[in-house]
Amino acid sequence: MASTLEIRDLHAGVEGKEILKGVNLTLHQGEIHALMGPNGSGKSTLAYVIMGHPQYEVYSGDILLDGESILDMSPDERARAGIFLAFQYPVAIPGVTVAHFLRQAVSAVRGYTAQKNTNGPVGSNLIPLREFRQELNEKMRMLGIDPSFARRYLNDGFSGGEKKRLEILQLAMLRPKFAILDETDSGLDIDAVRAVAEGVKQLVGPDLGVLIITHYQRILNYIEPHYVHVFYDGRIVKSGGPELAHELEAQGYEWIRREFGEPVAHA
Amino acid sequence: MRIQERTREWTFTIEAVHALSDLLDEPDWMRDLRVRAWRFFEEIPWPTGKEETWRRTPLRGFHLDAYRPFSPERLREIPTEGELATVYQDHLAELASSGELIMDEGQAIYHHLAEEWQARGVIFTDMHTAVREYPDLVQQYFGQLVETDANKFAALHYAFWRGGTFLYVPRNVEVTLPFQTLARLSLPHSAGFYHTLVITEENAAVTLLEDFFGGQEGMHDGVVELFPGPNSRLRYAHVQDWDMTLWNFGTQRIRSSRDSEVIHLISSWGSRLSKVWITLDLVEPGARGQLLGVYFTTDHQHIDHHTMQNHIAPACASDLLYKGALKDESRSVYQGYIKVWPGAQKTDAYQANRNLMLDGRARADSIPGLEIEADDVRCTHGATAGPIPEEYLFYMESRGLDRTQAERLIVAGFFEEVLTRVENEDVQRKLEATIADRLGVPLEDLGY
Ligand SMILES: Nc1ncnc2c1ncn2[C@@H]1O[C@H](COP(=O)(O)OP(=O)(O)OP(=O)(O)O)[C@@H](O)[C@H]1O
Ligand SMILES: [Mg+2]
Repeated sequence: MASTLEIRDLHAGVEGKEILKGVNLTLHQGEIHALMGPNGSGKSTLAYVIMGHPQYEVYSGDILLDGESILDMSPDERARAGIFLAFQYPVAIPGVTVAHFLRQAVSAVRGYTAQKNTNGPVGSNLIPLREFRQELNEKMRMLGIDPSFARRYLNDGFSGGEKKRLEILQLAMLRPKFAILDETDSGLDIDAVRAVAEGVKQLVGPDLGVLIITHYQRILNYIEPHYVHVFYDGRIVKSGGPELAHELEAQGYEWIRREFGEPVAHA
Repeated sequence: MRIQERTREWTFTIEAVHALSDLLDEPDWMRDLRVRAWRFFEEIPWPTGKEETWRRTPLRGFHLDAYRPFSPERLREIPTEGELATVYQDHLAELASSGELIMDEGQAIYHHLAEEWQARGVIFTDMHTAVREYPDLVQQYFGQLVETDANKFAALHYAFWRGGTFLYVPRNVEVTLPFQTLARLSLPHSAGFYHTLVITEENAAVTLLEDFFGGQEGMHDGVVELFPGPNSRLRYAHVQDWDMTLWNFGTQRIRSSRDSEVIHLISSWGSRLSKVWITLDLVEPGARGQLLGVYFTTDHQHIDHHTMQNHIAPACASDLLYKGALKDESRSVYQGYIKVWPGAQKTDAYQANRNLMLDGRARADSIPGLEIEADDVRCTHGATAGPIPEEYLFYMESRGLDRTQAERLIVAGFFEEVLTRVENEDVQRKLEATIADRLGVPLEDLGY
């Protein structure tokens, strides 16, 4: 049965400042949703709150995965439950290679680490190295990532485009049920957008629900969304089909502003 | 030797110095050196804690009287090579080498030097054999760099030194695989005094990795002297993996000749308290040296590194990077001095000490010092201490790693930057294994 990720009247913020002001959104596995909205409207905040970033507080509302609240789950538990976030700004972690990190991540998400066998042979709680290497090479090839990246440090010295591609590589390796792509297309040149979009396109299907946060139509040309939502001042103010994205691209957010007013700061 | 002498329990006295020299059947010059060192030891006062170098490292709880300088009786308790195979196999297996030396309680119990290098004049043996078989060579270098009166513990070391590595690489010989020493103290309450001496002649190249371990409730007082000759390359990695109950003291010094390239790395994982002085003397133009350090402290551990980059000749470069991760109520002290002598123009000297604070109660002190008496000099130093950035942890956690896994991976990565500077994959792998060991996980758990 297809999984659902449901966000119900979510109010959240940081240090008492409300940023999300009643978000309602339901994703089913196999669906592609686009979320568009002006800078500072709270899109990344929504992504972080879904992933469980400790800096944000949930004031009310709920996030449910297959009907069960995930609010009490830590970020790693959410990841293991099948939620993935491709970061708008991935952090660089020096000294940790892509391969080492990914082997750990894949093992954790696929349950190798959980069935820790303290008496077993060394490494028995990790995905077998050969199997892992083979899969990694395959996915890197598919996404047009040079094999040398496996030995480089996580995002360290990566160009903007390389970082985004690495996020998609991780998505491909971790095979979540739901993926939130936070501006994976921003800061990329035309070729890179195509590469990233085609990578994502190969991953979409009945087993993946995607929430694409973007400012541009171009990524949606490759991955046609089933639904488009307009995010404004901490909530979704309008939903529609793919045509809504074209409308926004053509007209900007002015008409939204006129309709819903200037954002109000809540203390 | 009289019967009662054989079973006598030696304490730290001049008689014991002579008895040890007798036991080892040493030449006069070595006996004289020991005696001279003993006099210095008696002259130099015990640190009071007011000296700059001792201010942050209290010796409370250390009593030399609790140890015996050596014990001929106890040496017989050392397990034989066969019995030890299991202990050492793991250590040796991690590294393919040109030669191995295994010592326990100062005694060599296994020794191997690849034929190829022996034929080309490389000497790799334990210090006592070296004193016996290559007296002139040893006398020319032994104790010439770390002076017998360098500090209280160096003096004590020279009076009672026992065991250690001697490595000599003749002109134009470039040894490909590293040499490896395992120096152990297998008996409890031991006092160890290992001495390391490495000489590379002109255009030679070599790598030596030394692994110090064991020493439950014991003490170790070691000296390392490295002599990179003109245009030679010398890599030295010192893995301090002593038992958590051992008191560790060390004095290490490098004298870099013209156009030589030296990499010195110390990884301080073990001991309850460790105080190590490391000095790099750049005495001829064109010499380059890297001083690298990694340490990981837990519980009430106290690790103190005191370094000196001594630019005596012009056009030399030194680059120091010490990185530590601290937990619990442990403490690290890093004191580092750069001295540029008059006339040492075109000096490049860098120094950085970075500390990762894994616990609010741990403390890292960083005390840099500069003394520059030349004007055409490039010199920087910096120190940092801070927790793991929350963003690192969240990023890793969002990919399914729990907090402990994420922390370990980040700490291992933090050290990795230092290890890659060794520019030798075998040595790097070996050091990674010791890190995993120190973090208490199989190497595989770091994803390797
Ligand atoms: N950790 C934080 N501390 C304080 N303010 C925050 C924090 N995170 C977000 N904000 C504020 O919340 C608002 C929404 O930010 P958010 O990053 O979610 O917007 P966004 O829609 O993703 O914008 P963009 O399109 O520029 O990426 C902004 O005003 C931002 O400054
Ligand atoms: Mg954003």
